[in-house]
Amino acid sequence: MSDVNTTIRSVLETQGRLPVPALSLKDDDDLYENGLSSHASVNVMLALEDAFDIEFPDSLLRKGTFESVATIRGALETLGVSAAAN
Amino acid sequence: MTQFGERYTRRLFTDHEIECCGENPVTAAPGLAARFAAKEAVLKILDSTSRVPPWKSIEIQRESRGAPKIVLRFEAADLAHEQGIENISLSLSHGGGIASAVVVAQVAELDSESPS
Repeated sequence: MSDVNTTIRSVLETQGRLPVPALSLKDDDDLYENGLSSHASVNVMLALEDAFDIEFPDSLLRKGTFESVATIRGALETLGVSAAAN
Repeated sequence: MTQFGERYTRRLFTDHEIECCGENPVTAAPGLAARFAAKEAVLKILDSTSRVPPWKSIEIQRESRGAPKIVLRFEAADLAHEQGIENISLSLSHGGGIASAVVVAQVAELDSESPS
């Protein structure tokens, strides 16, 4: 049983194509400054949808949503994903 | 696109953009990649650090003579208006596994001299 942050980092590790390990990032670290491309952020979004069985609405399909682990978690919370989900 | 298929394209591109590039994902990929590059370039021009518009609010349309043009909607249009952007020119290119876009924005000249 893993928590939301762990799942987010796992998805970032497999889909984010980051030059640094996702586990080494702090919650507020800027993912784009750490090498996340816009293109990869879309793959991250789709993989998060699969992981949490949710769908990001158009209003959240923007770069700012995937700026950090914290902003991703915030977006997931608005979609009903609780801290202990998954 | 290989991994997520239509889910990927439908989230990033408008119906018009998908129609322009065709249904076949193999032949559509270069055109969609160029359009993605154009959207990304427009986001940089809009300097949207605090308010980032959704991907589909920036649409690359194809004019009747074949030339591409950018149409902004909603938040993207608001940001362009606030920054005095009057016109955006676009050139798309793809081939050899590489896609690129060049975007040039024309900004309204500020009236620095008030009439006396």
